[in-house]
Amino acid sequence: MASLAQEPGLVTITIDGTELQVPKGELVVESVKRLGREIPIFCYHPRMKPVGMCRMCLVEVGMKQPDGTVRMMPKPQAGCTLPASDNLVVITDSESVIADRRGVLEFLLINHPLDCPICDRGGECPLQNNTLFYGPSTTRYVEVKRHLPKAFPLSRHVTLDLERCIQCGRCVRFTEEISGDAQLAFLFRGAAMTPRTFELTDLDSKFSGNVIEICPVGALTSSDYRFRARPWDLETRPSTCLECANGCSVWFDHRGGKMVRINGRVNDAVNEEWTCDKGKFGHGYLNAPDRPAKPLIRKEDVLAAADWSTAYQQIVAHFEDGRTAVAGLVGAKVSNEDLFQFKRMFHRHFHSPNLDHRWTRILPSQTEGVRGLHGIDEVHTRIAEWESVNAALVVGNDLASDQPMVYLRLRKAWQRHGAKVVVISERPTYADHFASAVIRCEEGKLFEAVARLSAAVLQNREGADALRAALKPFAPDAKDRAAAEALKGEFFTVCSESVYAKPDGGKTVSALANLAVGTDNAQRFNLYPVGANDMGAALLGVHPGGQGMNTREILEGCIQGRIKSLWLLECDPFALWHDHQQVQDALENVEFLVVQTSAPNQAMQYASVVLPCCAHVEADGTYTNIERRVQKIEAIWRPKGDAKPSWKLFTELMLRMNPSRPIFEPSELMEMIIAEDESFAPAAYHNLEGNGACLPLGVDAGAQLFMEIYQ
Amino acid sequence: METIHLENSRGRPKAPNPEQVELKFSDQAVQELEALLTHYPDKKSAILPTLWIAQREYGGYLPPEAIAEVAVRLQRSYAEIEGVATFYTMYHVGHPVGRHLIEVCTCLTCQVCGAYRIAERLKAKLGIDFGETTEDGVFTLEEVECLDACDRAPVLQVSDAYIGPVDEAEIDALIEKLRSDPGSGTIRLADEIVKAQLHANEQRDIR
Repeated sequence: MASLAQEPGLVTITIDGTELQVPKGELVVESVKRLGREIPIFCYHPRMKPVGMCRMCLVEVGMKQPDGTVRMMPKPQAGCTLPASDNLVVITDSESVIADRRGVLEFLLINHPLDCPICDRGGECPLQNNTLFYGPSTTRYVEVKRHLPKAFPLSRHVTLDLERCIQCGRCVRFTEEISGDAQLAFLFRGAAMTPRTFELTDLDSKFSGNVIEICPVGALTSSDYRFRARPWDLETRPSTCLECANGCSVWFDHRGGKMVRINGRVNDAVNEEWTCDKGKFGHGYLNAPDRPAKPLIRKEDVLAAADWSTAYQQIVAHFEDGRTAVAGLVGAKVSNEDLFQFKRMFHRHFHSPNLDHRWTRILPSQTEGVRGLHGIDEVHTRIAEWESVNAALVVGNDLASDQPMVYLRLRKAWQRHGAKVVVISERPTYADHFASAVIRCEEGKLFEAVARLSAAVLQNREGADALRAALKPFAPDAKDRAAAEALKGEFFTVCSESVYAKPDGGKTVSALANLAVGTDNAQRFNLYPVGANDMGAALLGVHPGGQGMNTREILEGCIQGRIKSLWLLECDPFALWHDHQQVQDALENVEFLVVQTSAPNQAMQYASVVLPCCAHVEADGTYTNIERRVQKIEAIWRPKGDAKPSWKLFTELMLRMNPSRPIFEPSELMEMIIAEDESFAPAAYHNLEGNGACLPLGVDAGAQLFMEIYQ
Repeated sequence: METIHLENSRGRPKAPNPEQVELKFSDQAVQELEALLTHYPDKKSAILPTLWIAQREYGGYLPPEAIAEVAVRLQRSYAEIEGVATFYTMYHVGHPVGRHLIEVCTCLTCQVCGAYRIAERLKAKLGIDFGETTEDGVFTLEEVECLDACDRAPVLQVSDAYIGPVDEAEIDALIEKLRSDPGSGTIRLADEIVKAQLHANEQRDIR
């Protein structure tokens, strides 16, 4: 694959008598696909380097001579390691190739237990399929097969069945090449070779779930999914993961109204085909048995089931025209349409600007954020662009936790062309192992570390004298100067909004923006959100704006009695806000509390009214990820009980307060969003088939420095 | 093959944090490692000789701590180093070996010349089977494949020396001689290999 990029140009090869032109260096196993043919494979994976371990892809190979004759090689070659070169002749369907494949499969099956009837992989197993199409119908091996541990838990999520392993090395190569933690390796050799962790320690990779999907047999299985279903019993629907703001495409497998498993879905713009463990194993809440199914209203200290109209009546009584005495707080997994309608309801009918979707310690107002202070957009780089960067500055929490797909792309950039990466963090991160410099600072000293590095970077550059002067108090040490070497030219900055959870987060972000602006890298600055639809909420204006209260002020307002009624939409303040006592005081003191949620949470204990709402898989809606890609999720199963899509609930309430034309479809809401904000124009529903549509990035108003943070 | 035991994944220990791994290489070993690293384009290439240094430093075998130390010093993952170490039979991973490692070649030529008689005699004399170590920790007995010394069949490799052809009568004397040797042949072998590695460049220059 590497030679493909180095030497562009086409070569002519012949596959089974058909001449075709392919890029020079393309692997034969890929070229064959151009003819609609297939070479059976086990160890080859298009996104990893070929190793030629399983020998399943053997083909006959020859070279066309100048006189037109073909000189065949005496022995078959592995198609997965053979690059296309001029005059190559490949035969994939001769007698001898068929015999070779049968032989390879017979050897592989010698030690394979053939417990397909109880194997999770049965029905979607490459070994099963290849044996059916290319293998022998019976075995000549009558001796005793090897016996090894059948269900060895490598970690909480991954169970290893050693007997089934065919030693293809995909899992080992994944942890080495893609995720980078290299927690799996082959131990011992020959028939005893086993993929394992060091001293059988926990496989605690953040990407361990992928090895289950790429295993071509049932050797690595999901501990949660084990023996839960057969693949042909599952209904598989495309969806998008909402566990973080990357918005990875996934296959959502369900059975009888229960989520059974999540698999990665190919989307080259976002997640290629990978998932992180948070996304793959983190959807259990959808199966929670105690999800609210009916509206609940508090009657004498007990929440009792009620009907919608009573609930609406109470809500209207407490919220309508509530002005500054009512407020709304929003969680991350709320669709654009729901957010828009929620905001409209608050602005038009409650006449309240008190809305917020942020839960971090620092809540920058419109004039304080990156856009306010520095005049640049928060996001400039799309996820797929990270794999071609040459230098990057990674600041804050672990990139692999906050932005797993950005991490995988950045690692790919380092692996492919040696991208230089500088990491500044308080704790060890996943990106440390490939970083050309790691600056580990003390807890709470992130800002100082960024400022010192900024000073070191500016020493290598012309211009930005004002910033250099302001950075005088921060003297870089040798480590900073060494790190600055990597940032001599253009460099990309990546930081996540989780940095706002740190006391010096605001100053850190500002210092990063200053560094980007001062070195003409403002077009490469990125402050990515962390919650699934935080980006959508920010773009749609679900924040206090100029006059409203932010999350902290709302909670304080509840305690002081200034806020009489509070609406919690799909959020649990106890899980999100850093100060539990404050949350408890606020929820105890507020007069009327609406908790609208799809999953049971702690805030329900304090609720006056609980409204069940649809989880993302139960209602149509769009979500905006970190690169402003608007992706549509379609309802996969019916809502639980009486739950309603949030936008529908808001619409019904608004009709009660002010009869007007109702809204029947979320697409109508998207049209209204587009009418209000033109930047959403690409996200019209007819454009959202496939991988969604991207909204504009990098809308800069005019970059400027902000020096006061250094004083 | 070593059996692995089924157990609860929740109780599975975590791999050590690289910053917490105790580094036990002596100053001399560290110097040797630095010299070795100059022979290779990257640290990954130095895994094999570094494992030999570790085998010497940790007393003739590679406990998990030795694997971890090599991984930390070469900035590779623990699993990768363990995978390399378990691939090769001359690294003794996990279990200690005796001061003297007696390896009996039982391949064709040696077998024809009576290797099994020699092996049985050794087993009886030491009271151990292949792959076992005597209780006093002096001898480990191993069965190995061809030692590439068919002209001296039947041949034994005793730590760093080939002995052969041997006959049963010599065994007793050999054992007594080794028992009285206070040094460790296994450590000596590791040391010699490290020295040979260190001078590999010079030998190439001479040629």
